[in-house]
Amino acid sequence: MEKESKSFVLFPSHMHGLSLERKLKENGIKYAISPTPRELSSCCGISIMISSTDIEAVREILSENPGIKTDGIHTINRQAKKRFFDF
Amino acid sequence: MADYKELWTSLDIDLEKHDQLCAVLPEFYGEIYMQQENRPEAMNYYNFVVSEIHGYRVQELADMRKDGKKVVGTFCVYVPDEIIVAANAASVGLCAGSEFWHPDGEKVVPRNTCPLVKAAAGALVGNTCPYFKSCDMLVGETTCDAKKKLWETFAEYTPIHVMNLSSMKREQDYINWQGEIKLFKERMEELTGVEVTAEKLSESTKLLNDKRRALQRLYETRKVANPPISGKDALLVTQIAFYDDPARFTQMTNQLCDELEKRIENGEGVFEKKAPRILITGIPMAIPNWKLHHIIETSGGAVVAEETCTGVKYFQNLVDESASTLEDHYKILADRYLKTNCACFTPNTSRIDDIVRLYKEYAADGVVYYTLPFCTTYAAEFKAVKEALAKENIPVINIESDYGLEDAGQIKTRLEAFFEMIGNK
Repeated sequence: MEKESKSFVLFPSHMHGLSLERKLKENGIKYAISPTPRELSSCCGISIMISSTDIEAVREILSENPGIKTDGIHTINRQAKKRFFDF
Repeated sequence: MADYKELWTSLDIDLEKHDQLCAVLPEFYGEIYMQQENRPEAMNYYNFVVSEIHGYRVQELADMRKDGKKVVGTFCVYVPDEIIVAANAASVGLCAGSEFWHPDGEKVVPRNTCPLVKAAAGALVGNTCPYFKSCDMLVGETTCDAKKKLWETFAEYTPIHVMNLSSMKREQDYINWQGEIKLFKERMEELTGVEVTAEKLSESTKLLNDKRRALQRLYETRKVANPPISGKDALLVTQIAFYDDPARFTQMTNQLCDELEKRIENGEGVFEKKAPRILITGIPMAIPNWKLHHIIETSGGAVVAEETCTGVKYFQNLVDESASTLEDHYKILADRYLKTNCACFTPNTSRIDDIVRLYKEYAADGVVYYTLPFCTTYAAEFKAVKEALAKENIPVINIESDYGLEDAGQIKTRLEAFFEMIGNK
């Protein structure tokens, strides 16, 4: 079965997420705001999905902007199998 | 991660049951929305709203209420938001788009009630929707029998005001609707303690027309040969319009349109070039009912417009901004709101005219007629719509389906055959 790997930046609140979003935009890093996958946190809220190849660049931005708090960057390897629609 | 448990507890939400909903949404949204390729970047705002669907906006409403403002929940595009906003209150469209709420709904409404009404019932009585719990008053209307009876049940739980919409559009019905708008204005004044003046109504009309103009601009971008936004993304934007802050929503949607218009200039679209262009007509789709759009767009089709309440019915008609007295406002609002062609009216031939006009305006190749089980009015109108479309040589397929996903494969097979037929025309 094909696997896909995606990385998510988690935040203590959406304010931090939106601050990082601005920085990612300024630095031209591709991202998408996404609901936080359940396997990473049981609280409803946003995370930022990035390509695993951009993790280091994102870490650098975070170290330059200590005001932006995160709950870490997590990568999940998921079976590409779909749960709701099998097409 | 943001923790809204304290907020939800203050709203008397059943945390354990509500958590089942929170557990499903990220993956469900992820599968339908996040897998799309070449999405507009500005969709990140709407991703944000959905990700925080029971948090961010609910917190905003809680803060407003702390400051003494009121929140009013609505279910229908006939309820004039202009009155609510002019009374310095917030209007939110309420939860009704998931079968998650059906078991609780069936405790208070008959099993053979349409999925939309049953879900709304379950969301309220099961204490699993923070929006219902944020409302100081609900506003119902007499647009179908299931809803009429639902308001009687809701009255046992919460304050509710019901607007009496006539089933016809004769002169006396316009006069009746003006009277209903006046009564609603008085009820809102009583609730908020704010006097609704002609001036305030002019301001709220302008604010809400700006929101409608932004949505019109969005839909305009879907008319081009290869639209720069998917149908399901456009649907999401319209769904969010019902409960987001109107000024912020307008600003964010205009930003999205800036990006979409640039995409059009660059010839950048999201569909396969030969994708059949589909106009959907029928019942409204409340979040998270994205099923039909998802099936169409994973079967090679492109949804280019919706003749539904979560589509053009919501914003295609602006409110005339020239009123200067309260009486002018009542008349202008009544005239504008009664332009909407819901299947609850008899006769409702203007809806057919709308479908034909939209089919041409959006250069559609076919129409998907969507109904929910037990929605008698929309199901019954299919016959007249089908006959009228046949005269115009417009292909149409009828899809009746509830919120469950069991029939998704079967619908896909039918739609693929329909698209093939359209392609061979």
